Amino acid sequence: MSPERKIDLAWLMLVLLSVGGAGIGSADGAGVGVAVLVSLVMAVKLRLVCTYFLELHEAHPRIRSAVLAFCYGMPILVILTTAFGDTLSSLTGALIG
Amino acid sequence: MWVGIFCEITEFALLFAVFFVARAHHPEAFHSGPERLSLLAGTGYTLMLLTSGWCVARALHAMRRGQRAACVRWMLAGFVFGLGYPAIKIFELQRNFALGLDGSAGVFIVSYYYLTFTHLVHVFWGLLGMLWVITRTGLGAYTVEEHSGLEAFACYWHVTDMIWLMIFPLFYLLG
Repeated sequence: MSPERKIDLAWLMLVLLSVGGAGIGSADGAGVGVAVLVSLVMAVKLRLVCTYFLELHEAHPRIRSAVLAFCYGMPILVILTTAFGDTLSSLTGALIG
Repeated sequence: MWVGIFCEITEFALLFAVFFVARAHHPEAFHSGPERLSLLAGTGYTLMLLTSGWCVARALHAMRRGQRAACVRWMLAGFVFGLGYPAIKIFELQRNFALGLDGSAGVFIVSYYYLTFTHLVHVFWGLLGMLWVITRTGLGAYTVEEHSGLEAFACYWHVTDMIWLMIFPLFYLLG
């Protein structure tokens, strides 16, 4: 498959995931389950952009690691702050006052 | 180029940290927040930016193949789709203000404006950069061997795109 065709397919996947993700958002429900699902979709979309648009595999390994840490760190943080919101609130409460 | 991109990532990482802390302190406001925003507008931004990023990626590949005219066409298409972002922003702001969603509408809306306006500024820089790169490509400044300026712009635009992919679910889906 040509690189251009891969980019086209990645874009199509991203569009489908975005529309599907919006469907998750419009459905009722909250909590860790929805956060996990939304985070999973976010992680897949970020990975697609990194691989096929940004061509991160061609970047320096340290740059690649840092960008991937940011990309995977966000979905993980979404899940953790949803599951442990109370803990985060009490930990940061002293700072905010 | 990567120094600038890491500055952008650091800036948004701090704003995301503020978002998570605010969300932990005001769970009710953030839980009901997405209902107050237009999911249609949020999805529209996402599709416009993704499609613009796709056009820029195709433009880069066209340049690598020595197809300068195709590269300019892809970049112009990327610019048009990129303009869709501020166009939708105007529609969304009119809707929000009509519904009283201004700076006094609570912590969720304030966080929303803070993050999305910062992102909008980055999109504006990107659109200006895109005009510059289109002009230089049209004038023949880039070649198959040397098109680092085009690559640098493409990286910036894709990272701006990635940051939106993080913002979108935080405000429009999760709350």
